[in-house]
Amino acid sequence: MVKITIKSMMLFVIISLNGAWAEDMYERHCVTCHKSLPTSLQQMFKRYLLVYSGEKNVKASIKHYLTYPTKSISVMSDLFIDTYGTKRTTQLSKKELNEAINIYWDKFKVFDKLK
Amino acid sequence: MSALKNKATNSVLKSEKKSLLRFLALYVTIIIFVITLIALFYYQSQEKLMLAEQRATLSKYAYIQTKRLKVLHHYFDERTEYPRDPRFKSAIYDIEFMQIFSLLENEPEFFDKEIYLTQNQKHIHFIKSLDEYYLGTKYLIIEVKDDGIWRNEIWKNIVGYGLIAFFFFMLFGLYLAKLFLKPMRDSIMLLDRFIKDTTHELNTPLSAILANIEMMDTEVMIQKNKKKLERINIAAKTVSVLYTDLTYMTLEQEKTEAEEDIALKPVLENRVEYFDILAKSKQITFDLDLQHATIFMERRKFVRIIDNLISNAIKYNKRGGKITMTLRENSLSIADTGIGISEEKIPFMFDRYMRFNQSEGGFGVGLSIVKQIVDECGLQIEVVSKEEEGTTMVIRW
Repeated sequence: MVKITIKSMMLFVIISLNGAWAEDMYERHCVTCHKSLPTSLQQMFKRYLLVYSGEKNVKASIKHYLTYPTKSISVMSDLFIDTYGTKRTTQLSKKELNEAINIYWDKFKVFDKLK
Repeated sequence: MSALKNKATNSVLKSEKKSLLRFLALYVTIIIFVITLIALFYYQSQEKLMLAEQRATLSKYAYIQTKRLKVLHHYFDERTEYPRDPRFKSAIYDIEFMQIFSLLENEPEFFDKEIYLTQNQKHIHFIKSLDEYYLGTKYLIIEVKDDGIWRNEIWKNIVGYGLIAFFFFMLFGLYLAKLFLKPMRDSIMLLDRFIKDTTHELNTPLSAILANIEMMDTEVMIQKNKKKLERINIAAKTVSVLYTDLTYMTLEQEKTEAEEDIALKPVLENRVEYFDILAKSKQITFDLDLQHATIFMERRKFVRIIDNLISNAIKYNKRGGKITMTLRENSLSIADTGIGISEEKIPFMFDRYMRFNQSEGGFGVGLSIVKQIVDECGLQIEVVSKEEEGTTMVIRW
């Protein structure tokens, strides 16, 4: 009986670990935290588009904000920042950060979505 | 004055015609250039005017489309249908000129112009640069069809007014040309008048000199006086040829005599004999190769041709040179071994008062008379000349 329980637990751990590894950089490092915020990541993306327009501009501005997060360069409203504050400086490496931002862009970009 | 206006002066001289043609060619080129330039400016200004008229409407469309984009941005991505309008087509581009969405028939050609006609001239594009980039849109392009009515109107105006202006300027140009050429024409008429007046006074003394030379008994003369008489004879004959030319040119050319079949061989032999004394003075010899030939024309005119050609062949020959005359059924050629004339001067050698060599006497009327008679009688004249080798004049009929 004990053997079966241990085996079941090991199987659970393996499956959980597999699930964690299956998530991409964006899912792991962005979505998890943003879940708790009232504004979705898509709404935030649209704010970036509204201010920065093009792909290079948007990506560069997100990267800059994540690296040096301050109220003055945030695209969110003052009320939002005052309520939820600015995020902590990212701990991701440059490569990881770029990867997450690229996924974020590809997920919400407007290109090819309009009919 | 009108009596002085003989046929030659009335008709515009060849050189005058050339000057006139050159002036007109230059004038026409300048006029066409100026009219084209004005037409171009007019076209461009009318195009700008048309675009300015369209700007207000297209600006209104752009404003409407911007508001629709704002709504779409707000509801994206629940709503993904791009707003359409039957009055225009539109497209949106981001700040990096990447197309976000487009309904345009023509790709945008400029992003830095507010309004322009597409290269195929079928559409008008209005570019609005947004301050807030809804859906990332920096450039909103509004496209409407250009009906081209304004263009047809412009072309009609350009062609119509252009032609009127062209004809007006052409008339003005002709007036100007005549004004500029008047001094030249006046001086030619003055010269004609002078020649006519002086020629008239030459007749009596010249006839007296020639008649007395003929009557003189050279048998009893000593050699020294014979030589002197020969020189007088040469000088008198030279003046006589000149006199006959001038008389023909100013007084006789409009007279008509009966045309006849002229046996050319005896006439040529006679003229060679006449000029023999002149030729001998320069040790020039004649080489005659004359076959039987006839021509149907006025005798005095044919004599004028021959006299002038022989006279020139002697005048411009080298000392000790040769004149070769060849008569065939339909042609006569007179070749000298003289100084020749450069090829570029040949077209001008028949011009009246044209003298390329100032060392020899004359008025420059001889070849002008030859050409005039040749043209009148439907003959052809050909000149072959090489500098320092000689000239061959060929008359064909």
